[in-house]
Amino acid sequence: MDFANTPSFFRSGPKPGTRLFLCALASIALLVGDSRYGLMEQARDGMSLVLYPLQRVVNMPLGMVRHFGDYFTVQADLKNENDQLRTRQLEMSARLARLETVERELNELRQLNSIKATRTDAPQLAETLYTGRDPFSYKIIIDKGADANLQPGQPVVDARGLLGQITRVQPLTAEVTLIIDKNQMVPVMIARTGERAILYGYGGGVEIRYLPLHADVREGDSIVTSGIDGLYQEGTPVARVSKVERNAGAAFSRITTEPLAGVQQTRYVLVLQQKGQTPPRPAEPVVPVKKTKGKKPADSE
Amino acid sequence: MSFDRPKELLKPVKRRFIFMTFLLAVLVEMVPLPHGSTRWLPDFISLVLLYWVINQPRRVNVGIAFLMGLVADIATAGMLGQHALAYSVTAYLALSRQRQLIMFNLGQQALSVLALMLCNQSIMVVARMLTGSAFVGWSYFLPPLIGALLWPLLTKLLLLPYRHHSV
Repeated sequence: MDFANTPSFFRSGPKPGTRLFLCALASIALLVGDSRYGLMEQARDGMSLVLYPLQRVVNMPLGMVRHFGDYFTVQADLKNENDQLRTRQLEMSARLARLETVERELNELRQLNSIKATRTDAPQLAETLYTGRDPFSYKIIIDKGADANLQPGQPVVDARGLLGQITRVQPLTAEVTLIIDKNQMVPVMIARTGERAILYGYGGGVEIRYLPLHADVREGDSIVTSGIDGLYQEGTPVARVSKVERNAGAAFSRITTEPLAGVQQTRYVLVLQQKGQTPPRPAEPVVPVKKTKGKKPADSE
Repeated sequence: MSFDRPKELLKPVKRRFIFMTFLLAVLVEMVPLPHGSTRWLPDFISLVLLYWVINQPRRVNVGIAFLMGLVADIATAGMLGQHALAYSVTAYLALSRQRQLIMFNLGQQALSVLALMLCNQSIMVVARMLTGSAFVGWSYFLPPLIGALLWPLLTKLLLLPYRHHSV
């Protein structure tokens, strides 16, 4: 193995130290640029386009294995699943019928009050390409991107509940930040009481912070999106309260929750449309105060 | 010096082969594996990188390490520059001791690789924590251990095409 150890009498470029200095400088610049200012979006887009065929190639054998697995399913399993789906469909159709009446009623009321009806764009189905192996970021990559008119900010759900939000759209793929990612926040309410709160991801889980001690929360309460951010449709299930701790010494109660959606194992996801059509924020009444503030120094001068 | 192993003459390493191994490592990185396997799977790109830095220091240098780091950053959807920084520093450390490392036998090499990869992970942890991520727990340092255990196997595998008489 000592074949590399033969001395070479040729020039070998700059010294390793110099190279390290340059590379370290470049990477620190990239780190700062990416984390603070988000400057690297263009470069990332290009690189992702180059890597896309590789991703496809890598996914192909796995897809084939899955395909064969599907082909050789036991009939009993199929029957079982079919039964389950049928009962589920019955339940759903009953619920849907009720929902339709309620929706019609709502629309009539909206028309009476001349409020625009909410947009009903079809959700888009996407497949998870892969999950980043970086344990710091809870993100998944899906196989739709700018080609399917996805936009950053769109909510992503699976069959059980809210999964996350699209944070980065590349030409053919998009990156979904899961709700359990650190710094990911979802405005939610407790479905039973309607109390509003904010669900914080802390990297591997979610919790509700800053609910006062007297807030009416119980274990097992389901938490749904409140829809007051103009981003998530209201009423999407997000999590379930698993533990409530009330410490007399603390100002807020400690509420541990578990996400409902299979945040780490889903294969197919739905990309919903943004809620949109939020009326602009009413003009701040601070404006005249600012004017007087601006005048005062002018007067003094 | 390693007197225990017979020295053998090897065919010159082709540039194409180095490229292929890197490509393979990136592909392995991108395979959608079941959740949880990333907890213990070693970082193959850095393993291959260390192998080439130790065995072909004139071909694979800090610059290549930096480039591979960028590719790893994109492939893992991590922060841009995180892997690049870690790989360049690790490659530099390996390069500065390359004359020594090449003399070691496989066990000693595996130990040094363990140290290098731990250094690699620590740099990434520090980089992520400085840019505002939570600490992910000590299990983050498990992959280097497994990577070091795989080192002898990797060495044997990558040497295989360059024996004059295949065993």
